[in-house]
Amino acid sequence: MSVRTAPEVAAPPHTTDRTRRVRSLRRARAADVLVAVCWSSVAAAVSLYLAYGGLAEVTDVGSALTAAGVITGLVGTDLILIMLVLAARLPLIDRLVGQDTAMAFHRQLGKPALYLILAHGVLLTIGYALADGSTVVAETVSLFQSPDMPLAYLGVGLLVAVVVTSLVAVRRRFSYEAWHLVHLLSYAAVLVALPHQLSAGGVLAEGTVQRVYWIALYVLAFGSIAVFRFGLPALRSLRHGVRVAAIEPVAPGVVSLHLVGRDLDRLQTVGGQYAIWRFWSGKTWWHAHPLSFSAVPTSTTARITVRSLGAGSDSLSRLRPGTRVSLEGPYGIFTDAHRTSPKLALVAAGIGITPVRSLLEHSELRPGEATVLLRGTDSTQTYLWDEVGVLSAARGATLYSMVGPRPPGLATWMSAEALGRGVTITSVFPELLDSDLYVCGPQVWTDLVVRDAKAAGLPDRQIHVERFDW
Amino acid sequence: MTKRALLLSVLSSTAILVTGWQLGSQATSSVTATVSPAEPAGSAGSAPAPTPLPSSSSSSGGTSSGTASPSASPTTAAVSGTFTGDSVQTRYGAVQVQITVASGTISEVTALHLTDADGRSVSISNRAAPVLRQEALAAQSAQVQGVSGATYTSQAYLTSLQSAIDQAGITP
Repeated sequence: MSVRTAPEVAAPPHTTDRTRRVRSLRRARAADVLVAVCWSSVAAAVSLYLAYGGLAEVTDVGSALTAAGVITGLVGTDLILIMLVLAARLPLIDRLVGQDTAMAFHRQLGKPALYLILAHGVLLTIGYALADGSTVVAETVSLFQSPDMPLAYLGVGLLVAVVVTSLVAVRRRFSYEAWHLVHLLSYAAVLVALPHQLSAGGVLAEGTVQRVYWIALYVLAFGSIAVFRFGLPALRSLRHGVRVAAIEPVAPGVVSLHLVGRDLDRLQTVGGQYAIWRFWSGKTWWHAHPLSFSAVPTSTTARITVRSLGAGSDSLSRLRPGTRVSLEGPYGIFTDAHRTSPKLALVAAGIGITPVRSLLEHSELRPGEATVLLRGTDSTQTYLWDEVGVLSAARGATLYSMVGPRPPGLATWMSAEALGRGVTITSVFPELLDSDLYVCGPQVWTDLVVRDAKAAGLPDRQIHVERFDW
Repeated sequence: MTKRALLLSVLSSTAILVTGWQLGSQATSSVTATVSPAEPAGSAGSAPAPTPLPSSSSSSGGTSSGTASPSASPTTAAVSGTFTGDSVQTRYGAVQVQITVASGTISEVTALHLTDADGRSVSISNRAAPVLRQEALAAQSAQVQGVSGATYTSQAYLTSLQSAIDQAGITP
């Protein structure tokens, strides 16, 4: 009998662990390449000037300032174009590092980019004035009268407005919508600066490779924005025709919005993801809401759950069935696909339960693989806990809950009662270091959970946090 | 940023910068030697009919003018007309000047083309050209100081001017 024995069946759990590790290594590698591409583009911006032979022109102080002015302009503009790409919600970037990480990088680049552009103007004006033997004022007047230069000055003005309104202290005074409207001016700022870049200096002169490269960068940045920020979401919204079907209050100030639409499964939403929603009623259409799916969509239905935080989300509870809904997304890496380790630890507080619930729903788990901790200040914050209970039972996950206020004057994410009993993050999740920790809740609370996890020795790549504060 | 990302960034940035620098030094070494191509055919047209042909002999006579010094200046039929200089290429664009000669003196220097590759070059040459014109008219030659901060324009302007003067055959 030469019947071969069946191949070992014990493999699957093992391979999934291995697949996870390989996937996460691959992602990390791709993310590193992406970072390197960003910095290389800065080097390329400098290189444009070097290849033009700019260094040969540096003979005295004036020409040195002029050279520095040209380089700061090239690098500053390159950074702004990178910022546009980061804000374009490219699927690749979202998949590799997540849109929130991309936006954190975007924010970091804002001020340096502005300083470089301002330095560009100042250095060139002084450099030119020295070369021409004139004054800075006279040089500014003459620059202003040169072709394409008034537009360039307008661009700087817009850029200053955009960055100033984004400073934390100033931003708080604006509503998100007003701020965002000003922010959109950055597109205009970068566009009106283009003519003088192509005409005023020789680096990007007609017929040069430099010019082709530079225009390609512009096309890439604005193309990504046009396609992924505007085109694709508009197409998806039209294609799926999402409408509000019903509004279900689940707790004081918390409602679940039941949505219907066509072929919603084609969105390929993964549990734990979110979308940016717009509800087309008179009072709500101008407000975009980043909200997690609180259940994995079927082909015709989807559900999101929202707590009234600002004026915008309060009016959502008064939406009428039938209201049209448009969406951008789905986005997010608070998903099973981004796990790196054999075990799963989920912590949710308040409305943070929504992505945790859909993540749990969408995960294939072995019994004992996952541990869930639900946190609420009081019994009004236990919405959707029953559903998580059912899912946990079905997937063999251990479920804990922690209800009660935090002790006054102590920086902790736990209740006073749990703290008193000596509960720690490792007593809840004994296998924490072999786990991926997913945390979703209020910002300050989330940071405290992450602090404890890191203190226990959990590396960054095993910590997954969903935040919507961008 | 991870170490690997840092390393990749540094390596690729260095490669890009070195390449740019190499390209740049090649470009400047081949261009700084101002190429002055053969004078365009336009000079025939722009040096119009009034060009007095008899003076063509005076150009050879010019050398001998030293010997016949007393009679030289009155006998040399004074040159008149317009003469177009060579078009001189610079990295910022071509420069070409035309001179108007009346009775052997340069009465006007006109810039037919100035460096115009980019906005900055235009403003530099617009500043330099009037100064160069003044100096050339005063000196009646191309042996004048260039304008500081406008090296390329000055060199090309004076080279073109010299070739126009050579054509006119006037010696200062």
